[in-house]
Amino acid sequence: MRNSNEIIDDIANKEYEFGFTTDIEMDIAPAGLNEEIIRFISAKKEEPEWLLEWRLKGYQAFKKMQLPSWQHFPMPAIDFQAVSYYAAPKKKKQLASLDEVDPELLATFEKLGIPLNEQKALSGVAVDAVFDSVSVATTFKGKLKEMGVIFCSFGEAVREHPDLVKKYLGSVVPHSDNIFAALNAAVFSDGSFVYIPKGVRCPMELSTYFRINAQNTGQFERTLIIADDNSYVSYLEGCTAPMRDENQLHAAVVELVALDHAEIKYSTVQNWYPGDKDGKGGIYNFVTKRGICKGNSSKISWTQVETGSAITWKYPSVILQGDDAQGEFYSVAVVRNKQIADTGTKIYHLGRNTRSRIISKGISAGQGDNTYRGLVQVGPRAHNARNFTQCDSLLIGNRCGAHTFPYIESRNKSATVEHEATTSKIGEDQIFYLNQRGIDTEKAVALIVNGYAKEVLNQLPMEFAVEAQKLLSITLEGSVG
Amino acid sequence: MTHDITIPFYQYILEGGNGLTPKEDVLYATRQDALARFRSLGLPDLKTEAWRYTNIQRTLKEQPFILQQQPLPVTASQVAPAAIADLPCYRAVLVNGHLQPELSDLPEIKDITISKLSEASQQAGFKAHFDKHPHLADQPFAALNTALFADGLYIELKKNAILDKPLHIVHVYTLSQHAFLQPRHLFIVHPHASGAIIESSVGLHDGVVAFVNSVSEVILEENAELWHYNLQNTVQDSRHVTHTAILQQAYSRYHHHNFALPQANLIRNNLSVALKGSYTETDLHGLTLVTEQQHVDNHTFVDHLVPHCNSNELYKGVLLDNANSVFTGRIHVHQDAQKTNAFQQNNNLLLSEKANINSQPQLEIYADDVKCSHGFTVGQFSEESLFYLRSRGIGQEAAKTLLVNAFAFDITDQVHIPALQHYLTEEILRYVTRN
Repeated sequence: MRNSNEIIDDIANKEYEFGFTTDIEMDIAPAGLNEEIIRFISAKKEEPEWLLEWRLKGYQAFKKMQLPSWQHFPMPAIDFQAVSYYAAPKKKKQLASLDEVDPELLATFEKLGIPLNEQKALSGVAVDAVFDSVSVATTFKGKLKEMGVIFCSFGEAVREHPDLVKKYLGSVVPHSDNIFAALNAAVFSDGSFVYIPKGVRCPMELSTYFRINAQNTGQFERTLIIADDNSYVSYLEGCTAPMRDENQLHAAVVELVALDHAEIKYSTVQNWYPGDKDGKGGIYNFVTKRGICKGNSSKISWTQVETGSAITWKYPSVILQGDDAQGEFYSVAVVRNKQIADTGTKIYHLGRNTRSRIISKGISAGQGDNTYRGLVQVGPRAHNARNFTQCDSLLIGNRCGAHTFPYIESRNKSATVEHEATTSKIGEDQIFYLNQRGIDTEKAVALIVNGYAKEVLNQLPMEFAVEAQKLLSITLEGSVG
Repeated sequence: MTHDITIPFYQYILEGGNGLTPKEDVLYATRQDALARFRSLGLPDLKTEAWRYTNIQRTLKEQPFILQQQPLPVTASQVAPAAIADLPCYRAVLVNGHLQPELSDLPEIKDITISKLSEASQQAGFKAHFDKHPHLADQPFAALNTALFADGLYIELKKNAILDKPLHIVHVYTLSQHAFLQPRHLFIVHPHASGAIIESSVGLHDGVVAFVNSVSEVILEENAELWHYNLQNTVQDSRHVTHTAILQQAYSRYHHHNFALPQANLIRNNLSVALKGSYTETDLHGLTLVTEQQHVDNHTFVDHLVPHCNSNELYKGVLLDNANSVFTGRIHVHQDAQKTNAFQQNNNLLLSEKANINSQPQLEIYADDVKCSHGFTVGQFSEESLFYLRSRGIGQEAAKTLLVNAFAFDITDQVHIPALQHYLTEEILRYVTRN
């Protein structure tokens, strides 16, 4: 079977056979980024005129922008013209049983403790009658619908709820925010849309895993979550299972809007392909995530566990616009081999009595480079604003790096901002203590690291937290000794 | 080297600044190199990461500066206000960067050299260390200083020399029109030598503005020790960009105490320490007490290149009125620098609605067996402390003054010269009560 790259190459080398603007039947667009491609994507998705215009505005902004140079890692060369910006969702090859799955993948599933049926679903094995994911999902969908919760793909939302999408799309991350957000605005493939109506507490954790039309939405996802007055939602993104993906550049955008007294909890576990030992290959995870606490007493909480990707470069942010609003950021980032993470958060205190809390735990092993970069800004109106930031770094081995670059800007005398950072390694005495009690060094490290990251892992929904703990141990396997 | 140039400074910079260095100058090649470096670096703007909170170009454009001015006559009585009461010390008076022996009281100790920098160019110490500090290479203002400095102070403490009393360096600025001054200093402390330096300034330039771009290189050889106090006060209508670059060899100890006090409109301190030898100790202490429209930007960098070094940094800020304070503290621990202990702390009290604080404590660490931390706080007095004092019959204002003093105590307490400590405590009190 030919892989998709060969197909892309073939198409790219082909003579311009059919004017692709009219050829709606085509599955993969030729590589390259231009206005025609954007019109093509928009037409293919049967989008309304206003959305196409918005995409084109994003493209115009993209054309004017340069790649940033302030990041703490050498920027890989990205050829935006070599990427194909549209591919119809691919059907994965259905396997008959788990015996056909890569044994290495199965071993990882085993360690993560993923239930057998989920394992099958994740690795593309046809699901048997006992565990019918579709029926589970359908039950969930019914329940959500009853409560008025909208949870669907972005494309569907554009068709069914254009007013909501039109009102909030780009209101938190504008089309010209940064070069990757602009690119996403121009070519975004699909994504999720969530709307929680007034006064509704979403009864379950929403996760793309249970979204019926959760297809391979690929590298330019766009997520928009709106929590109306007095509502609550917890959203999960990603999963602990290793994700193999052909696309190298991922430039997703996530926008969260919390209105009066609403709360959004957004959890991410990311375990994408990190490249091999020499840092070859691997995914560039350049995501723009931002939430706005628009209403009074609203709350947005980001939790992330980042173990994969060759380069993780993102700053999930919160704009605390309403009075008494709250923002939180909990992060664990693990790098090993030649992985790079430059991540952190930005919190803008605009309203009175706004509070924020940042807990970042970086773990560097091998030749990994881990950077926390964060901004806490207190505006002149933000009376009694309160921030607490703690970023700790753990170094395993003497060839890795751990860096902290916080920016603190305070313009209000009644605000209290605190920041503290520490860097340390795992003490030999700690390891010795555990060795003495019959725990081998590798397990001891896993134990210590999990204890170190507990404050963040505790923020994850329960089942997720258990998996994330195991994931941390697995990620660090072989990096000690 | 002291031409009066009448074209405005900014324009002069844009035009490339040729013709100031006579070919017969011994440093002609060095100055030309530095000028080329300055041109390629360019003047920093708000997009330059290290200058994002200090708009230096705007400051430079405010007045038409002339480059370098011949010192005007200065009398002993004009310098007198700089004196620190009850402090037995030697004194070196510099007028616009030029040492004035007749106003000074220099030590006559064997193995201690204090002279004009322009007279030291044949000294071995000068040849070994002048413009050699690794951190100055990419600093545009340091390059500009190297290219165009007029003169400054050269201090050399030879092996085992002990400076028995502190040396008080009084920088006097006297101008008849807006000027851009560039003093340049080189302090070398040889093995096992030690001493204390206090720098302060006097402004005699009513109605005109002094822009002072100074560079000091400080070299501490093995087991040398230096206390370095920098008092930035009493100069009105002045803007200061300073570079203090320290190089420490094994077992050396350096204590820097910086006091940015009211008066100067703009202060930008670049303090950077390169730790080249093991088992060193470095203390960087700073107090920023600013009022009115003052802008103070402390930019510090501690470069841990070798194992077993200790650095300790504590900067505190008290902000009144519309004052603006910036703190950037960078600690870089290289891969070889195992067993490093590096600590950094920046605490601030915002006492006015319109004051501004920006802080960037940075850790960059490539070694695993190290202990590093940084901390930052900004806030108010705690209501409890205020209440405690008031409940004991202390008035609101007096209680606040007491609390500011207590806040500053961590820094003033580190001053190891009692008379200087007393002087500084009084100064702080004076500024706080005035508000």
